[in-house]
Amino acid sequence: MYHLLMQANPYSNLNFFQFLWQLFIRAALFIMGKIPFDQLATDEIQVGVLAGIAISSAMVGCFLILRRMTMLANSLSHTLLMGIVFAYFFSTNKQMGSGASMQAMIVASLIMGFITAFLTEFLSQTAKLQEDASLGLVFTTFFALGIVLATLLTRSAHIGIEAVMGNADALVLSDLWWVYSVLFFNAILYLFFFKEFALTSFDSSLAVALGFSPIFFNYLLMVQVSITSITAFRAVGVLLVLAFMTGPPLTARLLTHSLLKMVLGGAIIGVISAILGVAITRHMWTVYGMALSTSGVVVCTIFFLYFAVAFFTPGRGLLSQMRKGRLSSLS
Amino acid sequence: MHNINVFSFFTDPILRAPTIGCMLMCLGASLVGVLVFLKKQSLIGEVLSHAAYPGVILGTLLAGFFSIKASEEMQLALFALIGALLTSFLGLWLIHLLQRRLKVTSDAALCFVLSTFFGIGLTIASEVQFTFTTLYKQVLTYLYGQAATMTDIHIFIYGALALLLSLLILFFYKELQLTIFDAQYAKSLGLKVDVFNGLIFVLVTLAVIIGIRCVGVVLMSAMLIAPAVAARQFTERLLVMFFLAGCFGMFSGFLGVYSSVVLTEYFYLYSPQSQFNLPTGPMIVLVASFLCLLSLLFAPKRGVLIRLIRMISFRYDCIGENVLKTLWRNGATLPQSLSDLARYQASSKLYLKIVLWGLMRQKAVQKNPTGSYFLTKSGFSQAERIVRLHRLWEVYLVEYLDVGAERVHKSAEEMEHILTFELERELTLLLNDPQKDPHHQPIPPMRSLYVSSSDAS
Repeated sequence: MYHLLMQANPYSNLNFFQFLWQLFIRAALFIMGKIPFDQLATDEIQVGVLAGIAISSAMVGCFLILRRMTMLANSLSHTLLMGIVFAYFFSTNKQMGSGASMQAMIVASLIMGFITAFLTEFLSQTAKLQEDASLGLVFTTFFALGIVLATLLTRSAHIGIEAVMGNADALVLSDLWWVYSVLFFNAILYLFFFKEFALTSFDSSLAVALGFSPIFFNYLLMVQVSITSITAFRAVGVLLVLAFMTGPPLTARLLTHSLLKMVLGGAIIGVISAILGVAITRHMWTVYGMALSTSGVVVCTIFFLYFAVAFFTPGRGLLSQMRKGRLSSLS
Repeated sequence: MHNINVFSFFTDPILRAPTIGCMLMCLGASLVGVLVFLKKQSLIGEVLSHAAYPGVILGTLLAGFFSIKASEEMQLALFALIGALLTSFLGLWLIHLLQRRLKVTSDAALCFVLSTFFGIGLTIASEVQFTFTTLYKQVLTYLYGQAATMTDIHIFIYGALALLLSLLILFFYKELQLTIFDAQYAKSLGLKVDVFNGLIFVLVTLAVIIGIRCVGVVLMSAMLIAPAVAARQFTERLLVMFFLAGCFGMFSGFLGVYSSVVLTEYFYLYSPQSQFNLPTGPMIVLVASFLCLLSLLFAPKRGVLIRLIRMISFRYDCIGENVLKTLWRNGATLPQSLSDLARYQASSKLYLKIVLWGLMRQKAVQKNPTGSYFLTKSGFSQAERIVRLHRLWEVYLVEYLDVGAERVHKSAEEMEHILTFELERELTLLLNDPQKDPHHQPIPPMRSLYVSSSDAS
């Protein structure tokens, strides 16, 4: 663990609340310009990267859920492994993860994204296969191929495990830069095309009638999913980013009926989960000496936040549903 | 290493367990895969396998607390299996809850449950990594599967489970069939459909938790889908489909293990200093997908390639018939040049040339020295028959379906290539052998039928 090595880390030996307070103070100092960019602590980079991923994922995830395309995103996240392996293969620096340049990985991920979408479409249209079966077939095949290739190239199955699990402790400043570039890209897209995305998600035939192509926006969304997942892969792995894409938007969906509020709420819930997750990880390490995987803890936080909200939401929550059920059975 | 042949995979004490174990697992998975494929819920396996992951690790963790050593494989495997069973059911129940109570769309519910459960699994795994280092290796094997470390004990456990699974399917074959294909009818027969739907989920869960040991959680869903898809290409009958899927599954299990062992050996000879094992799980999945791809492409009747060939030959026939028609319409004996003909056809001149060459070989068309084409006698009667079919169909549309005479041409243009001799006879009888079509064109007489039927057969 990097925690052991970095004695200068201002967060070492802090518990949950001390961590949050310290983070708050240092964030304030950072905004005032007292802390230079390159002196951010590991925990801050983690919070920054995870929060950035959470916001990007929430934005993308809302539309994935509305368009019922989350399973396509799932299969994309599996096939990205192939892209990573290829990026590794064609890069000169043969050290996995940090070695393959992010540019190469983004290009590879985009190509894999298109291949996945295209093949799935081909199998279900031309070979007349059920849609879910063709999805399952394509991504498992590519994933298997990815693992076999990775084993052959790196002479160990380690890269496969790293790519799936992610390693939040190995994040560096350049990750921060990439995550926020992608976030910026996503934000710009939604700033300009929010209405178009909403229209093509809710009423595709009206969109066609008005001259907006739902297919174009489908592919645009797939592009966003690809680059969001590929920048997230070093921090959380290719599979866990799905939890970031589905969890916070679904949580927000419980609380609101408005699309804009769902996107914003999803982003906020994602950021909260990221901060809480890192804080809990630090707490567990300080108090119990348990070195938990940060990305895993964040996903757990997302999971429990969802069910907390689902349970206690007034009116529609599980608690009030149960109470109503009891009342109706009494009367 | 010693010499390997195919049979030694079943007799060698080291290779025997992985081979037979994998084949049994794949058998179970492919049988259940048929059920979920036909229920159009192929992705449920994906969710269940991911949901089983935290269970496997929790089981291992518990085993660690009870200080079970890595050598006591029986207990360890049972702990992992029971843990996997419990969390898979929890995952299923949560999906149900999300869909029914919280109104989440099914795909989002699946995706949410699979990713969060996987995340929880990874969190617990990171804990195991530091507290029970010896067991962590065991945990990792469930991610991508590792058949190589299986022993005879595993064959026993997984074999028993796979047998149980096959027997359950065999025993409830009728009921499962009814539930899958016609739930309404099954209900009306007094069958408890919910119970059997539940049974299917139990079977899937069983198959998944058996399978993740050798294929791994991430790839498990492939073993449910690929054999079923491949089998579906060859048959329309459920029993045959079960049988074929089982065979495909067992075959991919065997070939996956075989190729991973042989290839590892080969790479070892090639560069002795590199020490790696090709993972068995991905190899099995690759074999299964390859089989599936082959059957998607080449299966008789349903294969893409066969359908493509049928489409191309149909288009070829259509163009040929259109050419005959054009020659006939522009004066039966008048020779026509290639460019004249090309004006009426939606195809390139090269393609037209090929079609004309084919027609000349059938002796329907002849070419004169100036390069123009004209109909032979048999070509003339073939053309007459097509025109007759076209016009008969137009009459039928106008008289029986009340279609306006100005709108019937397009449909007839397609039907003339499809109508058979039997249908022609039926139409002739039905319409009282009409002499004129709706556009007052004469319909060539029935006589052509006998002429062309003799040389067409």
